[in-house]
Amino acid sequence: MKAKLADKILKWARTRSLWVTHFNTGGCNGCDIELVAIFTPRYDVERFGIMLKGSPRHADVLAVTGPVTRQVRDRLLTIYEQIPEPKHVIAIGTCAVSGAPFWDGYNVIGGVDKIVPIDVYVPGCPPRPEAIIYGFKKLIKKMEAEEDIE
Amino acid sequence: MNEDEIITSLKNRFGERVHNSKIAKPRRVYVEVDASIIREALSYMRGSLGFDHLSTITGLDSEERIELIYHIVCGNSIVVSMKTNVLKTNPKIGSISDIYVTAELYEREVYDLLGVRFEEHPNLSRLILPEDWPENLHPLRKEATLEQIKSRLSMNGDGINERFND
Amino acid sequence: MSGSMIKVVIGPQHPALKEPERFIIEVEGEQVVQVTPRIGYVHRGIEKAMENRTYIQNLYLAERICGICSHAHTTCYVQAVEDLLSIEAPPRAKYIRTVIAELERIHSHLLWLGILAHEVGFDTFFMYVWRDREVIMDLLEEISGNRVNYAMNTIGGVRRDLDQEKISKILKGLEVIEEKAKKYIQMIQKEPTILKRTVGVGYLSSIDAVRYNAVGPLARASGVKRDVRKDDPYIAYDDISFNIVTRDEGDCFSRMMIRAEEILESINIVREALSKLPVGDISVKTRLVIPPSETVSRVEAPRGELIHYARSNGTDKPERYKIRAPTLANLKALCKMLTGIYLADVPVILAGIDPCFSCMDRMQIIDCEKKEKQSWTLDDLRRYAREWYQKH
Repeated sequence: MKAKLADKILKWARTRSLWVTHFNTGGCNGCDIELVAIFTPRYDVERFGIMLKGSPRHADVLAVTGPVTRQVRDRLLTIYEQIPEPKHVIAIGTCAVSGAPFWDGYNVIGGVDKIVPIDVYVPGCPPRPEAIIYGFKKLIKKMEAEEDIE
Repeated sequence: MNEDEIITSLKNRFGERVHNSKIAKPRRVYVEVDASIIREALSYMRGSLGFDHLSTITGLDSEERIELIYHIVCGNSIVVSMKTNVLKTNPKIGSISDIYVTAELYEREVYDLLGVRFEEHPNLSRLILPEDWPENLHPLRKEATLEQIKSRLSMNGDGINERFND
Repeated sequence: MSGSMIKVVIGPQHPALKEPERFIIEVEGEQVVQVTPRIGYVHRGIEKAMENRTYIQNLYLAERICGICSHAHTTCYVQAVEDLLSIEAPPRAKYIRTVIAELERIHSHLLWLGILAHEVGFDTFFMYVWRDREVIMDLLEEISGNRVNYAMNTIGGVRRDLDQEKISKILKGLEVIEEKAKKYIQMIQKEPTILKRTVGVGYLSSIDAVRYNAVGPLARASGVKRDVRKDDPYIAYDDISFNIVTRDEGDCFSRMMIRAEEILESINIVREALSKLPVGDISVKTRLVIPPSETVSRVEAPRGELIHYARSNGTDKPERYKIRAPTLANLKALCKMLTGIYLADVPVILAGIDPCFSCMDRMQIIDCEKKEKQSWTLDDLRRYAREWYQKH
C-alpha cells in the first residue's frame, strides 16, 4: 500500500516537472528555433514545469529534431542511453517523424524511430510552438496512463 | 578594373592556356584555364588583380573528367569562375591552400564528395562524410546513383538492423 | 602551468539550439593551442538530392537547407534558376522578396542576440529579445502563412501578394521593433555583464578578416566593408538606399553591436521597400525544362555571403547544384580567433560568428598523458566560464 502511494507521488512529481534535453540529428534549425521559442515568454512552458536541460543525464525527455544522418546515429544512441529511466522521446517535425524530404538522401537513415523508440510524434515543417506544447501535453497524458514501474 | 580588362590581362599573362572566356552578365565572368597553370593563375589573380576572396570551389563530374570551378571575387562584386578539369581516372591537382587559406576546407569537401586529390594539401582528410564511409565511394560522382550508394553502404554493414530488430 | 596538453572535445550534442558540430580544442593550462573543427553531422546530401529532383521540387529542398535563413536560400535558388531560364521576376515580386529578406534578417539577428546573451549568462536579456522577436514572427506569419519556412519564393516571382492591410501591420510591428532595438543598443553598451564578457574577446583584425575570407557581420565587425547587397546588388537592393554598418573593434562586442545596428538598418530598408512597392504582377510564367547553361548566384544571408552555383543540362533536373553557406566560409576565421584565447571565452566566440551549426553541449576532456576521458556538457563549460570570470 505504501509503495503504491510512493509511486503515485513519484508519478505526480514526474509529470509535473519534465526536464527536456534536445538533440538535433541533422535538421535544418527550423524546428530547433521553434522548440527554443516555447521556453521563451510568449509560450513559456515552464508554467507546466517543463525545462530545457543541457545534459541528457539530468533529463526525463529527449526531444529530437531532424532526420537521422549516418554520422549522428551512434551519438543519438549514446545520448538516449545516457538518459535515466523512465525515459521518453518526442519527435519534433516531419523530418524527425519520417525523414522527409530527405528520405532518399545517401547520408540520411530516416526518421528517428528507426533508431530509438518514440512516444509522441509532432509533425509539421516546422510545427508551430503551440503544436509542440500540445505534443508535450500528450506525452504527459501518456505518462500518467503508464503502468507504474517497480 | 572591369570584366573585359580582367579577361584581357589574364590572356596577356597566360596566352593560349586561357580559353573559353565569357562575360555572362555584369559581374559574372567565366574562364577556363589548363590544369597545369591553375596555381599560377590564381596567385596572379590574387596578387595582381585584387581577387582577395575565394567564395568556394565547385567540383563537377562531367563524364570522363572532373571539372573544378574556383569562384573568386574582386572587391566583393565581380565573380570570376575559373574552370579547369582533371582526368577522372587519376584526379589530382595542386592545392591552392597556400594562396587562399579557406581553400583548405573547400578542397577537403571536394576530396570528400568527388575524390579529387589536392597535392601538397596540409591535411587532406574527411570533412563531411561519416568516419565509417567506404573508401572510393564519392557521392557526387555521376556513376554513384542513390541506389548504388545505398547498396554499398548496406554491404558495409549498416549496423542498424542487427542492433535493433532483435 | 604544467605544460601538459589537454584535448577538449566540444560536441556533437546541441546547446540550446542549432545543429550538431564538434570542435577538438587542445589546451595548455587554460589557453587554447589548436582548434580542429569536425563538421558534417547535418550533412543530408542535398546537392545530390537536387540532381535527382526537378527544379520545382528543389525549391522545397532549398527552403530546408537552413531553417533560419530559409528565404535567403530560396532567393539564391530562384535567382539562379531564373538566370538559367533567362527570365526575370516582376519588380513587385522583387520588392516583396526584399521585404521578407529583411524581416528574416531582423528575426535572425534578434535570435542571435538572445543566444549570445544566454552564453554570457545574461538570461534576462535572452528572454526579452526572444519575446520581442515574436513580433517579427507574427508579421512573417501574417504575410506568408508560416513562421519559419515561408515558402514565399517561386521560380519567376513570389507566391503571395502584400495588401494594404498587411503593409500597415508590418509598419506597426516595425515601430515596436525599432523602439526595442534602440533599447538593446543602449543596454549592450552599458550592461557590465555583456561588456565584461565581450569587449576585447575573440579579436579578429581587418587584415585577418580579409586573409581568412570572412563574410557577413563577422567581416563587417572587423572593419571590412563587405556586403553583397551593396557590392553585387540583387532583387531590389539596387533601388534602395541603405548603409553598410561597419565597426573597427573586431571583437565580440562589435559583432553584437553590428547586429543590433543592422536591425535598425533593415527596418529602414523594409520601410523604403514598402513605400516604393511597384504595382503589377507578382510572378511570370516559366518553363520546366531548362536549356544547358550555368550561373553563379549570390545573396547576403543574415550570416554573410551565400553562393550557389547551378548548371542545367536541357532536362527538368539540374546537372549540378552547389551550395556554400556562410558558416563554412567563416570557419577558418573562427579557428584563428579561438587560438591563443582562454578556454572560458570559447562559448562566446563560438556563438559570436552566429554559427549555423554549433552544438557544444557535450564535451570530452582528454588528458593526453593519463589518457583519461572526462565528459563535460556545455552547461559545465558555461558554469566554468562564469566562475572563471568571477575569479578574474
